[in-house]
Parts: sequence; structure tokens; C-alpha cells
Amino acid sequence: MAYVAIADRDHHLHDPQTFIEKYVWSQDHKVIAIQYGSVAIFVGLIALVLSLFMRLEIGFPERFSFITPYTYYQFVTMHGMIMVIYLLTALFLGGFGNYLIPLMCGARDMVFPYMNMLSFWVYLVSVIVLLTSFFVPGGPTGGGWTLYPPQTVTAGTPGHQWGILLMLLSLAIFIVAFTMGGLNYVTTVLQARCRGMTLMRMPLSVWGIFVATILGLLAFPALLVAAIMMILDRTIGTSFFMPALMSLGEISKTDGGSPILFQHLFWFFGHPEVYIVALPAFGIVSDLLSTHARKNIFGYRMMVWAIVAIGALSFVVWAHHMYVSGMNPYFGFFFATTTLIIAIPTAIKVYNWVLTLWQGDIQINTPNLFAIGFIFTFVHGGLTGLFLGNVTVDLPLSDTYFVIGHFHMVMGVSPVMVLFGAIYHWFPKITGKMPNEVLGRIHFWMTFLGTYAIYLPMHYLGILGLPRRYYAYGNTTLLTPSAQAVNEAITIAAIVVATAQVIFLINVFYSVRKGKAAPHNPWGATTLEWQTPEIVPKHGNWGPKLPVVYRWAYDYSVPGEERDFIPQNEPPKPGQPVHG
Amino acid sequence: MFTAMTIALLAAIAVWWLLIQGLKDKPWLTQGVVPTSQEGITSSAPKVGLWIFLAVVSSLFGLFASAYVMRMHGHGGLENWQRLDEPSILWINTLVLVLASGALQIARNRIDKDQLAHGRAHFLAGGVLTVLFLVGQVLAWRLANPNGTLGASSPAYTLFVLVTAVHGLHLIGGLLVLGRTAKQLFGNIDKAGVVTRSRLRLSVELCTTYFHWLLLIWLGLFALLLST
Repeated sequence: MAYVAIADRDHHLHDPQTFIEKYVWSQDHKVIAIQYGSVAIFVGLIALVLSLFMRLEIGFPERFSFITPYTYYQFVTMHGMIMVIYLLTALFLGGFGNYLIPLMCGARDMVFPYMNMLSFWVYLVSVIVLLTSFFVPGGPTGGGWTLYPPQTVTAGTPGHQWGILLMLLSLAIFIVAFTMGGLNYVTTVLQARCRGMTLMRMPLSVWGIFVATILGLLAFPALLVAAIMMILDRTIGTSFFMPALMSLGEISKTDGGSPILFQHLFWFFGHPEVYIVALPAFGIVSDLLSTHARKNIFGYRMMVWAIVAIGALSFVVWAHHMYVSGMNPYFGFFFATTTLIIAIPTAIKVYNWVLTLWQGDIQINTPNLFAIGFIFTFVHGGLTGLFLGNVTVDLPLSDTYFVIGHFHMVMGVSPVMVLFGAIYHWFPKITGKMPNEVLGRIHFWMTFLGTYAIYLPMHYLGILGLPRRYYAYGNTTLLTPSAQAVNEAITIAAIVVATAQVIFLINVFYSVRKGKAAPHNPWGATTLEWQTPEIVPKHGNWGPKLPVVYRWAYDYSVPGEERDFIPQNEPPKPGQPVHG
Repeated sequence: MFTAMTIALLAAIAVWWLLIQGLKDKPWLTQGVVPTSQEGITSSAPKVGLWIFLAVVSSLFGLFASAYVMRMHGHGGLENWQRLDEPSILWINTLVLVLASGALQIARNRIDKDQLAHGRAHFLAGGVLTVLFLVGQVLAWRLANPNGTLGASSPAYTLFVLVTAVHGLHLIGGLLVLGRTAKQLFGNIDKAGVVTRSRLRLSVELCTTYFHWLLLIWLGLFALLLST
């Protein structure tokens, strides 16, 4: 007897009937996706405000009484961790992973819907625990987003009392939530695809989310191990990471612990984390570019292999974040080499995106603008990554603003460009309404140009030698007067970019309420999620029958066809050759 | 070298798996329904889900083991490692966990053959032996360090307690599922329909796989403790 998941059992048994079942304790992947997305965006806005506080201090030092050295480091730490984990990871995988996988694979729901629901609620608990740290004595941790010991748990560091404990606890809870969600995403891709949907017919969005989830499932345990051990160091005085210290004339009780061990564990998670965010972005942007350029993706097979290769290689580059820790030069050589090797499949993807656009019927609309903008920001961030991947270049630049510029271009702006492109692209599917195009374009240009105005000058500041992590620079002769002027300009640009996000929010709320009703397939897309019986799919997605897939996801502008796209579930015409 | 070989082996397995999944295909050349047995959720989904979870669990314990070795060698810090004398009760505990795993396997075989009475007895024995193992582990904590002090002065002991505690928590999680399955197994299953029996068999199979895997992980951890 075949196993039948809840989503495929008799509908009258599991269709949600009450408001609570539909929108609160929902097991529907689409509702869970929206729940994940809403919380992630909410917490991301908090992190955005924190970054503005940081920029205000750097641009206009000591003008704001509520920004002290103590709070400044708390803002830095919370901004970084929230953006990387609680916004980007949660939104790409919990949000888009949940929404797209069943729809794009032709499934009714995730394979384990109850666990999927639990995943969201546990994620919400992790967010609440994290935000609670703003209200405990000492406030949130200010040890930097990498939480390096011994500083993070040593007296004198902001939040060393409760903040760090809540941060570590929150991360552990997040990992539990991610594991529950991740098991669903991977199993659903492997086991719940509709008839005809072979792996090589899957859209690249699903490929990116699929491989990123595998990375997460294997890499997050490293962070969990580090978090558990650090909690014990902080609470019962173990010395896993804590060496002997002399503090205020007294020798600590700790001895023999290895801060470098923490760094290894952290970055064994931390570098795959870059690709946990990047791979879904790579996949989604491939689909956006192909759809809006009305052209099949260039080198589909190579794109799939590149995603897999990047995923595998991401586990052997972690120590390039630790060149300044005093590692053996041979290790440095090894990790520099692997870092350069991972650039090869990444570059293949960039070439393929550009070649997809080449001679395409490029539609200039908001989703495509963000997708094309991503190519610029990613190439920029990627190239500066090659600089930092080399030990001899990294050593002088490691503690400067060059790293901030690089990191934010490649890991901040680029994925966020894809997120916005994806939100505008799937907005009609999620809400049944079209987003406002004028507001969308204003949002794009302010964000795209604004972020360049923020991060491009940071590279210059880094080469000047401006150190990062400083609360204030004072009257030092180290810096030229232009450095302060540049910092002021960057802060103004940051305010402009933040304002642009208000426009985005206005667009979302305005369009949901008063936007034009969306046509069934507004972008003329081939993928299955646009082929549901209703524009906003009901519970179960497909009505009485699951779709059947007859072709790959990129039949755009096929010669001899009337329309410039052929949906994946459209059978071959009579007389057409059938292969496979 | 070991790490590099492990990574190379995993990469080779991944590439092989991808190749047999048809990743050499040229999907732009094919139309029509590719022959595939899959339509909707397949019967093996829970098994696949469990194996993925076990991969996550293995990753967790592999990283604990790495941390153990790196901390032992005083990686980057001062060496204050004092070797732990493993109490001999750990051998008995290991034997008990092997027996628990064996009992569950027999239970699975019997239940597959509809020999429910034997199946129930062995299933129960598997659970009881697992509880015994957990009690033995707590005793081992006391025997390894009569003072029971955790902290900076005894990193080897503290790591031993930490790793065995995390392993024990996974067993307790397994016992909860085992208990739920036992409730069904000891219920009125004789009169149940084919579907219920089929689901029950699947539950027993999943429990058995999980406990086998946790036994393997314990054997790995025990070997690590003995070798250091």
C-alpha cells in the first residue's frame, strides 16, 4: 500500500475549515510561506533601522546621544545576524522555498505538512527569543555578528550577561526550525514531483533552493555545536573556547580553550551559509531573466552542474575567513586555491545569465530590472571577493572597509535584489493583484543606485586603510579629511536607500488593496506555478488532478510557435516528434 | 588526509547519484512524458525523510567529534587536556545498545510476517534495553568522575558528558516515537485494516532504522573515546 501524505488524502478530511486552521495553524505551504516571509521582512526592517543608526554614528559622529560605543556594537551585531540568518535564510528557504517547491514541482503540498507548520512556529519563537534580548539587563550581545570568543562572553563586552545567551539560544532554536523545514524541502523535491517532472526538467529556482537546503542541513549543525559549547563556557565555566585570561588584574578560571576552534566551527557553517543564501538567488534570477527576456536559459545543464559544484566546493573554503588568525601558510594556500576554484562555476553562471539576455526580447519591467541589477552587483561583489580570497591581499585589507564593501555587495545587495525581483514577479500569484509598476521602478532605481553610492566608496575607504568595527575615528592623522566626507555621503545614501524600502512597503500594501486584478499568467511564464486552475491557488493547488509535465521549463520563443512560450504541462501537438 | 578522502568519497557518491538521476540529459531536446514511476508523493517519502534527518544527525556528531579532537590537541590554545579513563561500564552499555538494536530488528522481521505477539515482545524489549543504556550512561558519568564537576579543570570529562548527553537526547527522542508506535502496536491492531497495518509496519521500520543508526553513531563515539 502506497504511503499517502496528508495533502493527498481525502480532501474533506483535511481542508481547513476555520480561520485559525486557514491562517494560523495552517499546514498549507503557501500560507506558511507568507507567514515566514512576513516575519522575515518584519525582522529585516528592524535590522535595517539598526544599520541606519550605525551609519548615523559613522557619518555624523557623536551627534546622537542614544548611540554610544556600547549600543553601537549591539547594533552592529544584531544587524548582521538578523540580516544573514533571520531575514535572508528564512525568506529564501522558508518563504520562497515553501511557496515555490510544491507549485513548481507539481505537488499538492509539502510531504510533511504538519512538520512544515511546526517549522514556522519554531522559527517565530527563535525570532522572539532574539528580540527579547533588547529588553534584558545589559541588552543584546555586542560581540560582533561572528560572536568570536573570548570577547563575546567576557565582561566589558555589551550583552555578555544575557544578550549572548539569548542569541545562542535563538540560533539553536532557529536551527531546529530550519531542520524541520529543510527535511520537507529536500524530501518534497525528491519524492513528490508530478508525472513527467524529471530532475532535469525542474526550474533552476527549485534546483537552487534544493541544493541550498542540503547545504543548510549539513552546515547548520556546526553552528549548533559551537552554540552549545559556548553556552556551556558562559554558564558553567567550561573552557572549550576560553583560554586563560588576565582581566582587571585577575587571572580567569578558564584555561586551555581554543578561540580558533570556535572560528573553525563558525566558518564551517558560515561559508556554506553564503551559498545557502546565494544558490536560491542564483536559481530564482535565472528564471526571472529567462522569463522576462523571452528566451530559454543559456546552458541549463551547465547551470545545474554549477549549482551542485558550488554547493560541494562551499564546504572546503571556510578558512579563507580566517587568514588573519595566524594559520599555517600551507592551509592558507589550500584555502586560497579552493576559493579561486569556486569562482569557476560561479563565473559560468554569470556568463550564462548574460548570454540568456543576449538577443533576447528583454522586457523592461520591475522584476527584470532587479534581476539585471543583480548581475551588476554580483559581478562587482564577486570580483572583489577574488582579491580577498588571496592571502597576501586579504591580510592588509581584512580589517578595513574594503571587506564591508565586498561583503555587502555580494551577500547583502545581490540577494536582496533577487528577493525584490522575486517578490514583484510572484506578487500576482500570491495576491492575485499586479504590483504598481511606477512605484516598483522608483524603488528599483533608488535601491540600485543608492546601494552603489553606499558600497562603492567603501572599497576606496578600505584601500585608504579605514578600519572597520570602529565606533568613532576621532582626530587621527591616519585618515585624510576626504574619508570623513565620504562617510557623510555614504550615510546620506543609506538614508535614501532606506526611504526606498518605505516605497516598496507602500507598493505592497497599496497593490494588495487597490492593485489591478492580475491576469492568469501575466508574464507569459512556462513554469507550473502559473498553470494552476486559479491565479491564487486554492488548498491542494491543482484541483482534482495533478498536472503532467511534457517539457523543460524554458520553452520561450520556440521557432514556429504562435505564442512565445509553451507551458511545461502543454502536451506536444499531434504530429510533433516526441522524444524521451 | 582523512578529511580530504572523506570529502572526495562523498563528492564521488554525489556525482554518481546525479548521473543516475539523468543529469546528463538534454531536456531541451525532449518532449512528452518521460517514463517515470513517479506520480505524486511516493511510498518511500517517509524513509527518504528519515535518511535525510540521519544525515543531519551524523553531521552533528561528526562535528562534535572534530571539536573533541581539536580541543584535545589544544588547537590554538594552551594544552591542559587530561586524558579521560573510560569507565568499563561503557562496554556493558554498548552491549546493551547492540541488544536493543537487535531486538528491534527481530521485532521488525516478525511484524512484517504478521507474527504480532513475538513482534510486540521484541519491540518492547528494544525500548527497555534502550532505557537501560541511558541509565548506564548516567552511571558512567558518575564513575568517570566521582566529583562530577564539569568545567575548565576537566575538558575531556566535560566533552564526554556533553557528547553522550546529546546522543542520549536523540535516543530519548527516538523513545518517544517508539512509545507512540508501541501504543498502536499494542492496540487493537489484529482487527485493523490493511492500511493501518501497512502504516504500522512502516513506523516500526523507521524506528528500527533510527535506532540502528544511533547505535552506529555510538560505536563511532566510543571508538573515539577509547582512542584518545
